[in-house]
Amino acid sequence: MKIRKVLTAAVALAAVGAIALTGCSGGSGSGDDGGKQTLTLWQNSTTGDGKQFWTDAAAAFHKANPDVTVKVTSIQNEDMDGKLQTAVNSGDMPDIFMARGGSKLADVVAAGKVKDLTSKVDPDIKKAIGDAALSAFTVDGKLYGVPTAVLPGGVFYSKDLFAQAGITATPKTMDDLEADIAKLKEAGIAPIALGAKDAWPAAHWYYFFAVRACGKDLITNLATKKDFKDGCWMTAANNLQKFAQVQPFNEGFLTTSAQQGANSSAGLVANHKAAMELMGAWEPGVVASLTPDQKPLADLDWFPFPEVSGGKGDAGAMMGGLDGYSCSEKSPSSCEKFLNFVASKQWQEKYATAFQTIPANQDAKGAVDNPSLKPLMEAYGTAPYVALWLDTALGQNVGNALNTGVVEMLAGQGDPKTLLQKITDAAARG
Amino acid sequence: MTGTQVMAETVPESDRCTGAGVSPAPVRRARADWRKRGEIVLLSGPALLMFVGFVILPVAMAAFYGFFKWNGFGWPTQFVGLDNYVHMWQDHTFRDAVVHNFAIVVLSLLLQGPIAILFALLLNQKFRGRSLIRVLIFVPYVISEVIVGTGWSLMAQDAGAVNSLLEKLGLGFLKQSWIADPKLALWTLMIIITWKYIGFAVILMLAGMQSIPEELFEAAAIDGAGFWKIQWNITVPLLGPTIRIWAFLSIIGALQLFDLVNIIWGQYISATAGTSTMATYMYQNGHLAGSYGFGNAVAVMLFLITLVVALIYQRFVLQRDTDGALTGDSGKARR
Repeated sequence: MKIRKVLTAAVALAAVGAIALTGCSGGSGSGDDGGKQTLTLWQNSTTGDGKQFWTDAAAAFHKANPDVTVKVTSIQNEDMDGKLQTAVNSGDMPDIFMARGGSKLADVVAAGKVKDLTSKVDPDIKKAIGDAALSAFTVDGKLYGVPTAVLPGGVFYSKDLFAQAGITATPKTMDDLEADIAKLKEAGIAPIALGAKDAWPAAHWYYFFAVRACGKDLITNLATKKDFKDGCWMTAANNLQKFAQVQPFNEGFLTTSAQQGANSSAGLVANHKAAMELMGAWEPGVVASLTPDQKPLADLDWFPFPEVSGGKGDAGAMMGGLDGYSCSEKSPSSCEKFLNFVASKQWQEKYATAFQTIPANQDAKGAVDNPSLKPLMEAYGTAPYVALWLDTALGQNVGNALNTGVVEMLAGQGDPKTLLQKITDAAARG
Repeated sequence: MTGTQVMAETVPESDRCTGAGVSPAPVRRARADWRKRGEIVLLSGPALLMFVGFVILPVAMAAFYGFFKWNGFGWPTQFVGLDNYVHMWQDHTFRDAVVHNFAIVVLSLLLQGPIAILFALLLNQKFRGRSLIRVLIFVPYVISEVIVGTGWSLMAQDAGAVNSLLEKLGLGFLKQSWIADPKLALWTLMIIITWKYIGFAVILMLAGMQSIPEELFEAAAIDGAGFWKIQWNITVPLLGPTIRIWAFLSIIGALQLFDLVNIIWGQYISATAGTSTMATYMYQNGHLAGSYGFGNAVAVMLFLITLVVALIYQRFVLQRDTDGALTGDSGKARR
């Protein structure tokens, strides 16, 4: 008797387990069935105004479309790639997920898991966003995502600290920058905050030297053509190594994180412990959350990455990224409807205020009120081209090797040659 | 594990049943036989299934994936043979990580062993507040690795508590970049590891000491041996089995070290700081890089290295403790 009971229980348990393992893809809405729909959304804002934005947008969309409920899930930014990968493999993808274009998105597209949105995004919205931003989400001529923010980079700095060190004009060239660094050091101020613990902030220095050294075609086509034979990669590495010799970064930059707490690089800027940081357009928002009173830093301003003589890059060329959202292949049609909704002028304006950043929809630019973002927006508007962050463009594998390689070189443990070797090695084992 | 034990104990019994010719009718014997087998299958089956499904199968799958260049999407198709293993050993970062692992193994034994024995000797004496100190020494072991890592990384930062304390004490010249300086970082890690795991070693040693018969100490004292002489000639030798088991656990733990390093140095810079381990290398270059085929190959290598070390240790060091218990009849025959 007992044995039979145990056996039945075991069989039942195994059956339940099997169902749990195989049947999970049934959960989220698959296809249109006319009735009630639930959209799952993965986004990376875990606190504050950003998280609130998505809650509000979901509620407003439900009000306009009572049949559709949007379920918002907050996922820590650094966990996003790994979770998405697991979701893709298990077939249990969220309907809407955050994407940043480049090779990272192209990998998921290659797996056949992203919906082609080419004919599904409102032409007016496409026009308002512009081809430049859309191109990052385009793979083989097809559109796979809708950008929500453009995040070009450059040097954010404290006007007060510059004045304190007797610096009157922002540096235009590398020589200017090095002279200013000397002045800041003399005044007892750490010149540049660098969060090398997270690797990508350090790597940004290499990216910008590469934008200056490499030509437009090479640097804007990396997602599809990973070519490191050109000598400009070595030039950029040499330039960065030379720059590092003036010791421009805060002490202990190797174990400084980028955005966590007052001792992070953004925290150093927020608390006037360091004068500059090379960052993307999200910086004002991050700094604001780390100032003592959690208000935006009043004297934060921005200047473009200095020009480097002798490079193949156009003057004024920038590097930056985009935040955007894609629909999974199986998502219902309300998915693209929601993306169109969020990309509309009204919601993009709210997005700009909530995230303290530059909206992708150019009609919504009026909502940007942060003073340090204005010169950045101007430069972005006149830039001859904007290349995608190299790690996003190259994909996780090569991008990661590049990022850690730069950190190693800045810590004095490698040279430009080993950096390039690392990148090629990573491409081989990808 | 339990599955195999059940098998080992029950199989000979059933052999005996069938083997002895005294059993009555063959039909009943067959039924009893079937019943026995059913019982074995029923009792050991679930455990065996779990073991195969969650230990053997994943190891086999890792070995399989390790032969592919695979980014984790879909089924691996690009067979590359042993390329992943070649790339791994050609990468100086991986070789460094292996060196760090073995340095941690050796330093853990050298630092923690003597300190743990001294602490245990002290705590084995009767004095006021003994239980309080026992608890305090054990507390770090109970705290989670994440909290220990976060706390120590905050304290050991350039602008952290350790450096401020040194300055306040007038020892400003001793200030260091404890975790950022690659020359120091491994030693900082060793201090943290020792602090964290010493409690476990002390508890083991204490337990070992309590199993030593009191009469031996009395006899030695009557013969005129001093305190240190007694400890050296009686306690330490009789503590042998405990020390050997502790060392085994310590070695395995050191080879698989991941969490402390990953918390203190983050996902990217442990190799640069000189504290990377095989496990952090696997995480960085497999999972974070999205090179899952390569990551699986590293996992297999980590498994093989640990297995070889464990087998060598069992063969040469642990043999006298485990003879009979693990090796069964063959072990006895060898002796």
